[in-house]
Amino acid sequence: MHGIIKFLSILGGLVLWHILATRIINDTALLISPLVVVVKGYEMLFVTADLYPHLYASSSIFLYGMLLATLVGVPVGFVMALSPVLRDYLTPWMTALYTTPRIAFAPVLLLWFGIDLASKIIIVFLGCVFPILINSFYGMRVVSREFVEVGRSFRLSRGKLFLKILLPASVPFILAGLRLAVGRGLTGVAIAEWFGATEGLGHLIFFAGQTLNIPILFVGVAVFAILGILGFQLLKVIEELASPWRKELEVR
Amino acid sequence: MIKSFIGSSVTGKRPLVKKEISRGFYSVMGGLLLWEMLTRLLLENELLIPPPSSVLRSLWKLALSGQLNQHLFATLFEFVCGFSTACVIGILLGYLMGRYRWFDDLMDPWIATLYSIPVIAFVPFIIIWFGIGLLSKIIVVFKITAVAIMLNTAAGVKNIDPTWLELSKSLRLKPWENTYKIRLPAALPYIITGMRLGVGRAMLGVIVAELMAANAGLGYLLRDASETWDSPKLFVTVVLLAAMGMGSFALIKKGEQKLAPWRETAEW
Repeated sequence: MHGIIKFLSILGGLVLWHILATRIINDTALLISPLVVVVKGYEMLFVTADLYPHLYASSSIFLYGMLLATLVGVPVGFVMALSPVLRDYLTPWMTALYTTPRIAFAPVLLLWFGIDLASKIIIVFLGCVFPILINSFYGMRVVSREFVEVGRSFRLSRGKLFLKILLPASVPFILAGLRLAVGRGLTGVAIAEWFGATEGLGHLIFFAGQTLNIPILFVGVAVFAILGILGFQLLKVIEELASPWRKELEVR
Repeated sequence: MIKSFIGSSVTGKRPLVKKEISRGFYSVMGGLLLWEMLTRLLLENELLIPPPSSVLRSLWKLALSGQLNQHLFATLFEFVCGFSTACVIGILLGYLMGRYRWFDDLMDPWIATLYSIPVIAFVPFIIIWFGIGLLSKIIVVFKITAVAIMLNTAAGVKNIDPTWLELSKSLRLKPWENTYKIRLPAALPYIITGMRLGVGRAMLGVIVAELMAANAGLGYLLRDASETWDSPKLFVTVVLLAAMGMGSFALIKKGEQKLAPWRETAEW
């Protein structure tokens, strides 16, 4: 029943969109029918195949940024959870970096690193690193005291306590952080490619916006939406596989 | 005995909080000092990293010329207009989604799609449809915040404690009393969380829209500074944006702690 309503909602919305585009607005510079979008998407994927370089450029920036964010965010989150002194010293800087709209850093980063890959990866990194860092921090903080006491009574060394108890207990949190980071990372890709890029999905969207090429604009946005949903679902599956005993553990 | 124990625990706690703040203060001061010294000693040119003192000077100049007021006001106005309309409509639709399953099913696919598209991919559309004036920025803020508030309100209304509904039934509350006195207050903490999530994204959205096409606002200032290679001005804008971000975040966090004190909110 619920599935039927959802299906009808999607179908009805698309039909409305089609009617609105072809009968009421009837101006291809403002809105086009979903059918045209699908045709254009098909063409860009299988006929002219000019979507692939953009997809490749964007996904490589995204993956590098995520990797870097994981490599930095997880250890820094752990250190901040384990050492109150460092946490006090780092907190003001982290707050400033986290709450500032990321786009403010884009011109500064371009000034420092040029329009190379480096500045783009750093913009993506800045977006992804905080959900990962914050979740690792909370993961480490909320490890059940009983687990730690069990470890102590077995006389585990500090290193062993970390490896055998603290680390595994915080894995679900880290994965939840990664899942939240996907959306922010995609936004980061779009920001990064807007400033001085020659390829990539972000570039495609902004170029289409500037030249009023509505079909390409819709295709670009649709690809972003699909990537976002896929990434989110993929990490959800990984999360369920890695920690089937926990559900809905996220700190946003 | 007990009294002295309590007394010592209270006095023992106060320096702890103070230490946290003083460490943060030292860290910020030390960082700024280091920044000032390094930029003064190592760099001939202020283009790459201007020292804090010249950033301050640039801020002072902007404030004197009245430009600062104008741009800050423009951005804040767009933000407040979009945010307040989003709160009203988001809570309304979110409440309906939480209350009626069919409405939830109807909206869900579209909301989920809207939510997963990066904020800034929307901006070109909104500029094409609504022009480059105030209206397009208000709509950007509205769209971003409304979706976040809607999703969270719906979750809040759905997850209401059944005993409260039983209470409402045994008191024979009228339907509208049931809504205002039971369901909405129960969903309040969720709504606030939605607002917190919305603020950051909406701020990003408004700056992007201003960067892309505008004649006033902090985003416009950012673009202006970066295109004229005026780094002190660029850094002033970044600092202003950081202040705005932190301010709104702190405000929402305060509200969240007041309305949902049992929930441990994120420190950042």
